[in-house]
Amino acid sequence: MKIGILSKRNKMFAAKIKRYLESEGHIVELYTLENLNINQSLLKNDFYILKSKHMFFLYAGYFLDGNKIPVIPNVNLSYRHKNRIEAHYLIKHAGLLGPNVYMGMVEVLKAKLKKSDYPLIQKPLMGSGSRGVRLITSSEDLTTAGGPIYLEKYIQGIHYLSYFIDDKVCVYEKLPLSNEHSQVKAIEMTQDLIDTTLQWKNHYNMLFGHLDIVRDEKTNKLYVVDPGSFPEFSNWNCSVDPVKEVCQLILNEYVK
Amino acid sequence: MVTLGLIIDEYHLEKKVSEFLKYMQGKAKINLYVEERYLLDFSNMNFKEDIFFIKAKGDVVINLAKLIERETHIPIINSPTSIWLCYNRFLNSTLLKKVGIRVPEFSLNPIGEDPPFQNYIVKNIRDQKNYAFNPLIKEKEGKITVRDERALIEAQGGKENYQYLYYQQFVKSQWEYKVYCIGDELFFSKQIPLLIDPDKMKSRRIIKEIPELREIALKAIKAVGLKIASIDFLQSKNGDFYLTDINSSPNFNYIQNGVKIVGDYLIRIAKA
Repeated sequence: MKIGILSKRNKMFAAKIKRYLESEGHIVELYTLENLNINQSLLKNDFYILKSKHMFFLYAGYFLDGNKIPVIPNVNLSYRHKNRIEAHYLIKHAGLLGPNVYMGMVEVLKAKLKKSDYPLIQKPLMGSGSRGVRLITSSEDLTTAGGPIYLEKYIQGIHYLSYFIDDKVCVYEKLPLSNEHSQVKAIEMTQDLIDTTLQWKNHYNMLFGHLDIVRDEKTNKLYVVDPGSFPEFSNWNCSVDPVKEVCQLILNEYVK
Repeated sequence: MVTLGLIIDEYHLEKKVSEFLKYMQGKAKINLYVEERYLLDFSNMNFKEDIFFIKAKGDVVINLAKLIERETHIPIINSPTSIWLCYNRFLNSTLLKKVGIRVPEFSLNPIGEDPPFQNYIVKNIRDQKNYAFNPLIKEKEGKITVRDERALIEAQGGKENYQYLYYQQFVKSQWEYKVYCIGDELFFSKQIPLLIDPDKMKSRRIIKEIPELREIALKAIKAVGLKIASIDFLQSKNGDFYLTDINSSPNFNYIQNGVKIVGDYLIRIAKA
């Protein structure tokens, strides 16, 4: 088969899945922002793997969808992971807890947020992971952004990184606000962490992904604070090989 | 009396709706939600309005509309998804083409990579801000290229720094046709294309309904999910109409009795 990979990088996990798929006899082309022209020229491949949720890869995904070329994972679900407000509703509709969310111009936030609303986390409206994320402890931390700011209630507690591939779940403790690649600590998995992860996976019929979860130190409840549709699996240390497993799931999905 | 929530930004409030607000006096109670003044708190779902009308497309506006749409049953004109589709040129072109509407060829390319067609117009990728089209026109050896200054700024710098350009195939047309849609009512006009005469109102004239444009316009607003819209068309030499632009926040002051038609339509929907 001819397979396209839409990826911000041409190394790391994208390069590994390219190598694996080629070793299985497929012709694989990797599209980064250097060589991605979004037009009829993309229609030459049988299907695409949407590795990155950057705006232009999502555009490419929507374009391919519109031209009946399969894209895995689902484009619209990937977009909804990327857009924080959409992700807020994904979490809510999966029956899981998420932090409360605010948006507004800096001056409005400064004037209208109450002291008890802090601490907050400022995040880019379109984003995933920890890029552009910072802790806001009071109105003084809010600075002009040239547009509206997106804020989430900061949940104090233990932070987890939870990966899933098919029904296999792998959870680690991580530092607050750190990204997927930061050092993690192995933990003994609890049933509520596994249940939360699988509830998410099954609600959206996902093949793989990850969740950032926080256990609230006051209530012991689990909050999903950031979902990801296609992690790098850089901290995955469970029984299966993530590259092989992810590629097999994608190929099976395409055949379906 | 119905209560209407007007979700708007300062620019539209100051420049575009004074006639509308005057007309609605005594007919509807208006609650203003202004992008630059509103704290959007997703735990607050306490809305008492019978209908919401959106006259802007900023992020606070779109996401307030999402909150209302997902947490209440109050009608919103236009829906947040339809507004999002309208300002994302590439996405609406993709969708419209998918449902069989003729749009000019289009392409999104990294800067320096030409599109797979010769005559083109470079437009901004996301038409979300309140500013005017500023075309830089070049004609050389029979090839026409038009670049919107906004697109170039967004692609090569500023906050966006996309490093990508959106190309739309250039359709040479004697007239630019404009169809305003307010519910099921359609209003037709034509003008000299903006690229030839930037003063669009100087040449604009009301025309009789063109059945083909009616059919395309209704199909387009249904596909995008719009209730109020304006749609631009160009007509090629062989008579084919191309849909070149779809707008979720038209200036209804430009159509005769536009304010009354829109106001009465909103009240009708609120009471339904």
